[in-house]
Amino acid sequence: MQHILEELQKRRDQARQGGGERRIAAQHAKGKLTARERIELLLDEGSFEEFDMFVEHRATEFGMAEQRIPGDGVVTGWGAINGRVVYVFSKDFTVFGGSLSMAHAQKIVKVQRMAAKVGAPVIGLFDAGGARIQEGVDSLAGYADIFVENVLSSGVIPQISVIMGPCAGGDVYSPAMTDFIFMVKDTSYMYVTGPDVVRTVTNEEVSHEDLGGARVHAGKSGVADGAFENDLEALTQIRRLVDFLPASNREKPPVRESFDDPERDEPSLDTLVPANPNKPYDMKELILKVVDEADFFEISKDWARNIITGFARMDGATVGVVANQPQVLAGVLDIDASRKAARFVRFCDAFQIPIVTFVDVPGFMPGTRQEYGGLIKHGAKLLFAYTEATVPKVTVITRKAYGGAYDVMSSKHLRGDVNYAWPTAEIAVMGAKGAVEIIFRADAKDPAKLAEREAEYKARFANPFVAASRGYIDDVIMPHGTRRRIVRALKSLKNKQVSNPWKKHDNIPL
Amino acid sequence: MFSKILIANRGEIAVRVIKTCRRLGIATVVVYSEADADSLAVQMADESVFIGPPPAAQSYLDADKIIAAARQTGAEAIHPGFGFLSEKASFAQRCQDEGITFIGPNPHAIEAMGDKITSKKFAAAAGVSTVPGYMGLIEGVDNAVSISGEIGYPVMIKASAGGGGKGIRVAWSEADVREGFPAVQAEARGAFGDDRIFIEKFITSPRHIEIQVLGDKHGHVVHLFERECSIQRRNQKVVEEAPSPLLDPETRAAMGAQAVALAKAVNYDSAGTVEFVAGQDKSFYFLEMNTRLQVEHPVTELITGLDLVEQMIRVAAGEPLAFGQDDLKINGWAIESRIYAEDPYRKFLPSIGRLVRYEPPREGLTEEGYLVRNDAGVVEGDEISMFYDPMISKLCTWGPSRAAAVAGMARALEDFHIEGPGHNVPFLAAVMDQERFQSGRLATSYIADEFPDGFTGLAPRSEQLDLMTAVAACMHRTLAARAQTAGAGLTPRKMRDDWVVVVGEDVRRKVVLSDGEGALNVDLPDEDRALRLEGVDWRPGRPVFRGVLDGRPFSAEVAPAPEGFVIRHRAAKARVLVLAPLSAELHERLPKKAAADTSKQIVSPMPGLVVALEVRPGQEVKEGETVVIIEAMKMQNVIKAERDGVVKAVGPKAGDSVAADEVLVEFA
Repeated sequence: MQHILEELQKRRDQARQGGGERRIAAQHAKGKLTARERIELLLDEGSFEEFDMFVEHRATEFGMAEQRIPGDGVVTGWGAINGRVVYVFSKDFTVFGGSLSMAHAQKIVKVQRMAAKVGAPVIGLFDAGGARIQEGVDSLAGYADIFVENVLSSGVIPQISVIMGPCAGGDVYSPAMTDFIFMVKDTSYMYVTGPDVVRTVTNEEVSHEDLGGARVHAGKSGVADGAFENDLEALTQIRRLVDFLPASNREKPPVRESFDDPERDEPSLDTLVPANPNKPYDMKELILKVVDEADFFEISKDWARNIITGFARMDGATVGVVANQPQVLAGVLDIDASRKAARFVRFCDAFQIPIVTFVDVPGFMPGTRQEYGGLIKHGAKLLFAYTEATVPKVTVITRKAYGGAYDVMSSKHLRGDVNYAWPTAEIAVMGAKGAVEIIFRADAKDPAKLAEREAEYKARFANPFVAASRGYIDDVIMPHGTRRRIVRALKSLKNKQVSNPWKKHDNIPL
Repeated sequence: MFSKILIANRGEIAVRVIKTCRRLGIATVVVYSEADADSLAVQMADESVFIGPPPAAQSYLDADKIIAAARQTGAEAIHPGFGFLSEKASFAQRCQDEGITFIGPNPHAIEAMGDKITSKKFAAAAGVSTVPGYMGLIEGVDNAVSISGEIGYPVMIKASAGGGGKGIRVAWSEADVREGFPAVQAEARGAFGDDRIFIEKFITSPRHIEIQVLGDKHGHVVHLFERECSIQRRNQKVVEEAPSPLLDPETRAAMGAQAVALAKAVNYDSAGTVEFVAGQDKSFYFLEMNTRLQVEHPVTELITGLDLVEQMIRVAAGEPLAFGQDDLKINGWAIESRIYAEDPYRKFLPSIGRLVRYEPPREGLTEEGYLVRNDAGVVEGDEISMFYDPMISKLCTWGPSRAAAVAGMARALEDFHIEGPGHNVPFLAAVMDQERFQSGRLATSYIADEFPDGFTGLAPRSEQLDLMTAVAACMHRTLAARAQTAGAGLTPRKMRDDWVVVVGEDVRRKVVLSDGEGALNVDLPDEDRALRLEGVDWRPGRPVFRGVLDGRPFSAEVAPAPEGFVIRHRAAKARVLVLAPLSAELHERLPKKAAADTSKQIVSPMPGLVVALEVRPGQEVKEGETVVIIEAMKMQNVIKAERDGVVKAVGPKAGDSVAADEVLVEFA
């Protein structure tokens, strides 16, 4: 009997060795942790339970029959993050470069299905060299099996991808269909075709980093939702993110004890909006001063910075925050900002996370680049997402809410539940200057008269009271009391129930 | 006594004057520019009058508007504060002509002392010791060079109308004079509208010691002892104290007597300051007389118990001084730290912007036995604007001894939390922690001597490592315990109590945490000792952590980092991780990441306007050559190349605004 137990221990030890000491040392030298080390840091200490440790591939071509390593290049299983169950797969670059075989794919599919069944998030840690070429079409079939689970689980359980090494070709599409992608700076890259192919096809010379590094995807393409300095920071931050999220769409987002007074006033918010309407200010200051403990997990921080999205808590309960950022492009809505916010709003709606929106928007971005790029349809995504969302929606207009963008930013008209405005709000079709130039075209050559008209227009419309008199704004609130008011509004909306008409699914302008 | 006073100033000094007026039952009027419409001074004053756009020349320096404001509100007297119109004899005269009392000396005294050349002549006549120098008008650069040669290098080139650190340069050689003279002249013309310059001997390793005098309209003059203001940067005072650690009673008496003699010679009838330069051998020479209230007057108030603003008001109203020289005694020691909006980590470049967080230490006598006074004109959410002096506040501490006042200042600075603009609190904390400062070996070159390569913070001392360890452990425990409250049955029954704490790059130590009665015990098993943290005043999200470690009260700035925390205690700042043993092992396995190579770029150290761009792509540049000139806070900042190289690309053009960290020039 003892002998049998020893045999198990021996096999386990062998499996845990992955690709062997030499490859593990090489992995460390590149500034990367191994697949198992990453899981240890991601999950609560000692909570990981591995599945399929002894799975091996069944390929025989090209001498593969002689090369079998238990686990076959991916470590899978489940464990806990702060006591809550999550499913994990972590590609092992030390085993066949983490390349995907049919057996490897089936291991991933198994955790995906388990997670969907029990309603728990799936976290994938990527560090791999693509398809196992020796397996041919079996490998491609394996990819597709994973894709199917990604799609079926979308909106059911949170799916998070962390790119911690190479991720190219077929490997990129599974992360692409998950809710969030994070990358590690300098050690990870992601692209459909690599620099060699790029050179052959387009004669472009480009490095891995410049083609698909963390900075590219987190700052330029918007493919990644964030980039971290190293594996350690990335895994710590994923834990932080998971703490905000519900385990599935079947449960409400988690509530935890807050150390922050829900009634806390912030007197300095009364001076946040500058006297000069053209002067920018930092919307993040408002977010950090309003949410619990100044704890804000920003999504897509470095891309489309004219809009801010991220998770926070109000009196212990998770909310999604969307806010225009007057500091970047005056907070204008452009293609990227609309896409970024729309996707975020839909995530929140899918997972029952209430949405708090802070508005200071001068309108949509004009120009050929925007129109040629399809601003109409991209802008419509945000309009669509806010409208269809049935979660509690609380909106605070701090300054500008002009034109169509006013409508879009979670206005009363799009089924906003509680809509507040600060006394500094200007809710109008456009700024005073532009408005009088159109209305009083006859006075165009008389600057004195035009200035007079502008002042008139300002006095009449550059305030929240016209909108409030129509009931489009529920109340005009003191900036310093914003936290208290939002907490109260969210509590009042806790049991909100609205359902959209039955449909197979909607047809959002993709 | 007056029933209503107009304050022709802004910021902290306006608030300061209002406070005294309130105590005396005098109504106050402040004037304000567009930039100050919502300021604390405007809110505190009984009345306020708008006087124009932000630039001082169109508001606070516009005598017509200020006189009109006094007329309109029926103010009987004007307190000019310091700066602006405070030392304009013409303004004092104008007040007199209009029948409004100027709360300051008579115009003749201002006239006589306001001009540095005339003042030296008066001083010499009154028997005051003076520095060798040339008091005549200087014709031009060549003339300046020959005069400097006669006096002997080093010499100081100074604008006659200068003050407050502007329009002063030291020249060590003819080349310095050739470069510096026109620069000082230009600055003087721009800042004061007066380009007269004088040159005098520069005393090596000098100290700045000044005597506070107070006179009335009845011929009485007393001195209120000295202040030492040797801790300066670019001739701008940063730390002041009273009394001076240099002086003995005899020297103090001698300096006081000379100051009084000078004041009497010009019929001085208000508060004023006679500035001396002192050698380490206690020799002293007259520098100039400031015919106004000084920024650093609070330290004198703290050691004499007098309210100088009150005294100015009383003597202006014609009251005789209620005390004589013999009634005045020095009580204890007082230090002032000027909290500036400047970035000490970036060569002290000015930093403006909104005070996102502004939490000064509590004022009054503390349980620890020192007294805190914080003179400020701002509240959280105010803007430090580019139009005026970037001073945020004046933090003063008083203690029965110099050591107590210094220790008190170090503690008060711990409790000062500012977010938004860069600020010099960590730098001031470093000064307070230096043995040289503590032992009083001061000189105006102190900062240059002690921080020759600029300020980068100080490495944590062993007791600071302990503090950071305990603070991080406490925060981690609070957060970890709370994180588990959302758990669903998979939470371990007991949280681990043994951790590895990593401070900065090098220090890692095992800790074992346990609850003591109302305290956290932090055992350091490898060092065979334990720390005890109690009286914790912190909650997640708060930027200041207060507690008592092994009986010693402290405050530290804390912020969450992507991993762990960043903790700053005084001048020491470090990232601190609290890790489970396995995690600590994995941390050690990863190689340190090399920092990005920024040596090939010159980035803008501050937001500002590009005044001149002196290089173009392809040009060869030598180390130390001027590359870009950026104007910020009305100061021209010359950015020089830090290495030799060929310019590859140039970012902005002259006239462009640039942000901090924006790339100005890239080298190939």
